[in-house]
This record gives sequence, C-alpha cells and structure tokens, in this order.
Amino acid sequence: MKRTIFALSILVVLSLVLSACTPTQAPATQAPTEAVTQAPTEAPTEAPTEVATEAPVDANSLPRNETLYFNGQQWNAVVCWNPYSSNCNNAMALAQQDNARVPMFETPYLYNMLDGKQYPLLADGDYAWDEGMTQITFKIKPAAHWSDGTPVTAEDVAYTWASHIKYNTQFGASNKDYIDTIEAVDPQTVVVKAKLGADGKAVNPLLVQAYLSTNYVIQKAWTETLEARTGGDAAAFMADVAEDVVYSGPYHKFFSDDQKVVLIRDDNYWGQDASMFGKLPTPKYLAHVIYKDNAAGSVALAQGEVDVSQQFNSNIQVLWLNYGLPISTYLPEAPYGIGASLPTAFFNKNSYGLDQVAVRKAIAMAVDFDTIIANAMTNQSATFTQVPRSLMNPTPGEQALYDHDAVKDLQFAGKDIAGANKLLDEAGIVDTDGDGWREYNGQKLTYVATCPNGWSDWQAAIEVVAAAGKGIGIDITTNYPDWGVYQTVVTNWPLPETGYDIFMMWSDGAGPTQPWGRIRHLISSEFAETTNNWNGNWGGYINPEADALIQAIPTMTDEAELKAAYTELVKIYLTDIPSFTLMYRPQSFHAVNESVWTGFPHEGDGTNPPVPPLDLTDGWSIAGLYNLVLVNP
Amino acid sequence: MKGYRKYFLNKLIWLLVTAVFAFILNFTLPRLMPGDPVAAIVARLAQGMSSSTGMKEVYEQYAELFGTNQPLLTQFFIYVRNMLQGNFGTSFSQYPRPVADILRTSLPWTIALQFPAIIVGWVIGNMLGALAAYLKKGFDKVLMPISIFVSNFPPFGMAVILMVLLGVNLKWFPTSGGYGFDLMPSFTWNFIWSVITHYQLPFWSIVIIAIGGQAIGMRSMSIYELNADYVKYSRFMGIKDRKIVGYVFRNAMLPQITGLALALGTMVGGALIAEIVFSYPGLGYTLLNAIMGKDYPLISAVTLIITIMVLLATFIIELLYGLIDPRIKAAQSD
Repeated sequence: MKRTIFALSILVVLSLVLSACTPTQAPATQAPTEAVTQAPTEAPTEAPTEVATEAPVDANSLPRNETLYFNGQQWNAVVCWNPYSSNCNNAMALAQQDNARVPMFETPYLYNMLDGKQYPLLADGDYAWDEGMTQITFKIKPAAHWSDGTPVTAEDVAYTWASHIKYNTQFGASNKDYIDTIEAVDPQTVVVKAKLGADGKAVNPLLVQAYLSTNYVIQKAWTETLEARTGGDAAAFMADVAEDVVYSGPYHKFFSDDQKVVLIRDDNYWGQDASMFGKLPTPKYLAHVIYKDNAAGSVALAQGEVDVSQQFNSNIQVLWLNYGLPISTYLPEAPYGIGASLPTAFFNKNSYGLDQVAVRKAIAMAVDFDTIIANAMTNQSATFTQVPRSLMNPTPGEQALYDHDAVKDLQFAGKDIAGANKLLDEAGIVDTDGDGWREYNGQKLTYVATCPNGWSDWQAAIEVVAAAGKGIGIDITTNYPDWGVYQTVVTNWPLPETGYDIFMMWSDGAGPTQPWGRIRHLISSEFAETTNNWNGNWGGYINPEADALIQAIPTMTDEAELKAAYTELVKIYLTDIPSFTLMYRPQSFHAVNESVWTGFPHEGDGTNPPVPPLDLTDGWSIAGLYNLVLVNP
Repeated sequence: MKGYRKYFLNKLIWLLVTAVFAFILNFTLPRLMPGDPVAAIVARLAQGMSSSTGMKEVYEQYAELFGTNQPLLTQFFIYVRNMLQGNFGTSFSQYPRPVADILRTSLPWTIALQFPAIIVGWVIGNMLGALAAYLKKGFDKVLMPISIFVSNFPPFGMAVILMVLLGVNLKWFPTSGGYGFDLMPSFTWNFIWSVITHYQLPFWSIVIIAIGGQAIGMRSMSIYELNADYVKYSRFMGIKDRKIVGYVFRNAMLPQITGLALALGTMVGGALIAEIVFSYPGLGYTLLNAIMGKDYPLISAVTLIITIMVLLATFIIELLYGLIDPRIKAAQSD
C-alpha cells in the first residue's frame, strides 16, 4: 500500500512538472493550426454579428471592427489631458516630441522620419525662412478648425507660445533660448522670430524649424478659460486635468481608467477637407489596454487583442514563423524595423586609465556587438557590418550625410581581440606583473560596466561589454543599481571615480534636428561636466574642434559643406571614442496583427510620402490611419 | 475581568506606541532611499528638451512643488499636518493625481482579489492539513508531497503556468486585465461576467500556493497536538474522538489565526505577481512603481495603511487570545 501511495504521489508531482513544461511545446504544435484556421474563419462570422446586434444594444463595449488596439505606449493610468503639461502620462493623446503624437492635438507640420521632411498639417504649404534666416513665416489652412467649430488661427499659435513662456512650461523652457517670439501677422499668417546671436544670425535655426513639427497649437480661447480657472498660478495651470480641453485633431477622449484608454473619432474633424486627408481616419475608436509588462502585451498581441504593438516583443519573428500568426513587422526580415536611436556606452573620463584613448578604443573594439544584437535585441537591430558605426542612425537620409570612405578605416565592427591587444601593446599598456591583467603606470586596469537594474536588454548588452575585457587583459565587472540611484549619479557631474566607469545611456532618435541634435547630445561640451544633465555627453568629453562644428552646422545651407562637417565629426568621434554605440534601436517598435485590420505601413507599401512605422499616431505616420481596411469588411 | 482590563490597556498602550514609531518610520524610510524623485520626473520629461538651462528650471520647479528642496524636518511637519487633515497629498510619479484617487481606484481591486484568496486558501489549507494529520496514511502521503511542492512553487511560475495552460492554450479564461479588453465598466451582465472570468486565473494562482503552505503548517500543528498529553489523557478518560478532535483543532488553530490576521493586514500591499502576470488592476504594481519612482507620498500612504491594518489585526487577535487562549487567560490572573 505504501508503495502504491508513493508511486501515486510521484505521478501527481510529475504531472504537475510536465504541465509546467507544456508552454514551450504546446504553442509550436497547436498555435499554427489554430491561428491559421481561426483568423480567416472566425472573424467574418463573428465580427458582423457583433456589430449588427451587440453594438447598438450594449453601448459599453467597443465593436472590434471599428476599434484599433494599441500596446506599448500607455503603462499607467492617464492623469490629465492638458497639452501645457508634460506630466499627464497620457501617451495616446499627448507627446510633443520629434515625431509629435497628433491624434488629438495637432502641430503645424508633421515630421516624416523616412524622408526627413516636414509635411503641412495645420499649416498651409511649406514654411519659408527670410533671407537672413532670422524668421520663419507660414500660413494656417483655412479649413482647419477646432472641435468647437471655431477656426484655427495664427493668433492661436502665437498665444500658445506666449503661454508657454508666461507659465514657463517645459516646452517654453526648452525653446526660449532659440525662439524669440511667435506673432500673428493676420488671422492666417504666423511669423516665428528666431533668437539672434551677436552676429545677427539665428542662434539655432534648426531648433526653430523643429518647433513647428514638435509643438501643438492650443486654442487661445480655451487657454484663456484655463488661465481664468487657475488664476495665473503656473503650477495650477500645468496641473489642471483639462477635461474640457478644445482640440483640433481627429480623435478625443472617450474613456479612461486604470485599465484602458479609449479615444473616439470626431466625425466633424477638419482634416476630411480636400486640403488635407480628404476623408476621416478609418477606425472609429483608438484603444489602448494598459498591460503591466512586455510579456502581457506580447500575449495580447498574439491573441489578436492588439493590432499595433509599439513595445519590444522579444523574438517577434517566432509569432509568424513558428505560430503562423498574421503578425508582421515593417521589414519582413531582421532587423524588422528601422533603427533610429543609438543606445550608447559612455566612458567616464574620471576613471583611472579611461583618459587614454587606446584603452577606450581597445575595449570598444573587443566588444562582440553581434552577440549584443542577437541577445539584447533578438536581432531587431541592424549589425555594424550592415550599417557601419558613425554618429548617424541607419535611415538612408542620415547615412547619406557623411562620406563613408573617409572614415572607413575607423569603423570597427567589434570582436577584434587581436586588434585591441595590439593597440594596447603599442601604447605600452601591458601586463607588467604577470597576473593576467594589464596595468597603466603600474596600476591594474579594472572597471565596472553598469546600467539600471531590470532594463533587461541593456543588462544583456552590458554583460557582453564586460565579457570583452577578459580577452584583452582588462578586468571589467558588472553592477546594476536601481534606476533611481543610477539616474541621479549619471546626470550629475562629477561622476564617481569608480562604479560608473562604463555606463549605458540613450541617444536621440529620428527627428527634424537630426543627426545634428544627436551628435550635439553625444559629444558637445555644452553638456560636459554639468548637473541635472538629461541631454547627453554624460562621460564629460570635451573637444573644442567638435564644438565648433556642432555650433556651425545649424546655419550651414550648402550640402557639400554640411557633409564635410558631419564627416569630420564622425572622424573625431571614431578616433577619440568618448562613447560607443552598442546597437541600433527603432524610434518605436512596430509590429502589427492583421487578423482584423490590414493596410499597415510596411516597407515598399507604395505610400507616397512613405508612411513611417510609428504607431499610426506619431508625426506623418498618422497618415497610415487613413489607409487601414478591415480584413473582413 | 480586572485582569483582562489591565491586559487590554497594556495592549492598547503598546499599540499606540508602535503606531507612533511606525508613523515616523513611514515618513523617514522612503526618504532615506538613495536617489532623487524629482530627477525621475525630469527624466520622463527629458525627451525633446534641447536647452540645458531649461532642464534646470524644470527640475527646480518640481523640487519646489514637491517640497523636496526643504529640510527633512519641515517636510515631516507638513506630512503630519496633511495626515491629520486626512490628506495623503499628491503623487510624485502620477502628478498631479492625488494619492487618495490612486488608492480609491486600486484598493477595491486589490481587496476583492486578496481577501477571498487569503480566506479560501486559509480555510481549504487548514482543513486539508487537519484532515491529513487526523486521517494519516494514504491521504497524508499524497497530500504532503503535493503541498510541499505547491507551496514552494514560485508564485510567478504558478501564475505563468495557469495563464499558458488555461488561458493561452485551452482558452478557458482571459489572460489579462480586470475585465474584457473591448468593454467599458458598466452595470451589465456582460461586464459582470467578464469581471468574473478575468478574476479566476489571478485568484487561483494565489489560492493554490496558499493552500499548500497552510496545509503544511496546520498538519504539523495538528500532529503535535494529537500527540499531546491532554489528548492521550482524554482518550484514557474515554472522551469521544469527535470531542478530542475539537480540542485539537482549536489549539492547532491558534498560530494559524495569527498568520491569517497578518496576511489580512498586509493584503493591501497587493498581489504583485498576479497583478503583473495577468495585468490585473490593483495596488501592488502601483506600489512597485511608486517605490521605483521614489514617490514618497504614495509609498507613505500605502505603508501607513498596511501598518494600521497590521496593528489593528494583531491588536484584535491579541484581544481575542485574551479571551479564548487558556494560557493567556491564566497569565492575566497572575
């Protein structure tokens, strides 16, 4: 009896263990058949009946075939709808950035990261600089109107800027060094006057024109209502939840709680005028369920509960290759998306030995970048053989901005242990005491490579960086502090002499000021050795030659001159190695599930201008919302 | 009864003293964490900021707003004043959202998930444990290894297994959220049913593990009691088995009740794992984010609630012990 019971209990335990293993096996066999058969058969039978019967009866559910579901943008409950606030945690509606998010509020122009151009939205036609490049003039489209039916005017643009300055909003604070005033010449004409330097030239024309596609136009009348409500108190002005806000975009708030945010289409949207899109965007609702981590979001994408996924889905290709799901990315093969930003490892120039270029370069050369790209990014990044390193992102526009041949000899692709060892030997940095580690002036070279704890892709990358040390006789260990500590340390000079020797931070992505903005943030001494530094150059690199070029580029108009300047900057960067790029990261991850909607942006989809893979809400990518069609109408 | 009054007053004084210290620690400990909450907020705003002077201004603006640039003692008095007015303040990480609003939306989900899960896990676990001790033989031999296995299972693993098996593969239950991804909260059958189905996986992922742990504890306590002298003596006296089991169960339950009280006291901390795996609404994940973002007001509010609940739960348990536990009864009369 005892034996039987023992055997029985073993069986029960085993069955539990085996059931724990099923996830890895089951999907491989079940999912493909289910997905392939389900997608085409279920949707047509279910969707129409749902719409016909349920939608009118149950106003509390969103008809699947009228709703486009997102993930990866909203991670917590929405706090407010105030376009003057930069703290609304309202990712679906508010993001005034390089590729501004425009479903609810609109910018004069839309930036398209694929061709680097700014296309008119609220603006009528292209903007024009005056001869001395001191001011920009543009017009507002006559058809553009607010959600309350009143026209969008130049006065709204001017008042928005004046309010940013008056209340010192983040958007005012970040632009007031470059923009002097924004004025309404007449109801349709806006003049943006640049801040001028001592030489009478604009301090930075690039940032002035970038304002036009990064910052919303907010209604003057509503702003005055807000001012009256908050009595001129700046904190209250920016903390207002703004449930009554007037907007000009095609969508507005329908519902939001701790679990989802839903925007509903405004069928009176001005953009259906022939002067803009000529029709309304296809989905009636834009919904974003709040998932608590990437894993939950990935499951929802695979289940067909998400149409557009902006989060990092590890090994995304498995979803269509192994499970046969109707999921795709912008590019059909690795790297699956367009790299835009350059996650970077910075060298702390205060760390012993890291002031030596040979040490910095040897470490960077020895790193196995292919492994980083395979592990940390699951190949969702171009390799450095495909896109040789520079200061540019992999977009064709930026790649064309420097002379590839001129810097060819400096572009290392990684895992060059022999080259790195040779470099160190030649610099006289050798192992003098025979312990296997090199010394510089008699002191052993030992470093800590670090990034925030829990940032798994960064941690995977930092592990590979540390591993590179072994092959070249430099002792590199890893440490992962909490983000709260990490950010406080790296953004406030001086960096500690140990513990933060090689550390990871980000770089700018694609935008109207790029690649200039990225280069400035990576190497300009403007940010070196500063506190509260959220801009860049965290390692404290100073090079007057680079500074001069960075200062000159915004006013350059001659393409050859521009290319020469960018080439020189790349040369300086790859020679001095104050930091080095670890991978290319997309502006937004972009995977789509086409079981309900199709017509999403894909490479070579024939759209002109091309719709970038940016959520169908950011910059010119909103044009993609007009191309969607139902799989089973 | 005089002894009990003294016992009651004694416990009450200790409760108040503990509460005062806990209150001070609630304020102090989060602020001793390394890192700067305002830097975390500025980090969020950093994207698109091109002017370094502008960045500094924004930083100073928020430091002023949240009072983090004030001395700690001044911050403490502001905190005490606010608390006395029942004002938990404004969250840093979800500014300008009031902490009270965050608690109002998260707490009901947390309590609705945790309270039944703790009670069900406790009741089933204790029943199984007592049965295993009493019935022994086959039942015990099967139950014990399963209980040990299940109670030592990482909660994360259990949640993922349930999700993959019952949610993804069998499609019996939805995999994420507190209600359907295509629904809006309403008092309709459709919505209520959706809430019920979404409840199942997070609920059972907590209950199954709790059952195992409780069963092991109860089994050990019951076996200990079954071998106690009073049981043997009762048997010699010819007292009926049913009556003896009653004695045994009551004595074995005492430590389990303490465990239950503490579990109920800390339940507002949230079921973090279940919340993350199933993207289930609740306070656990909010608290985790608050800790990561050094959101002092939110951390202090949640820990204060936990402190008060634990203190009250232990206070009530101690009062009940004074009435039901013969050993404590005896001590009072000394």
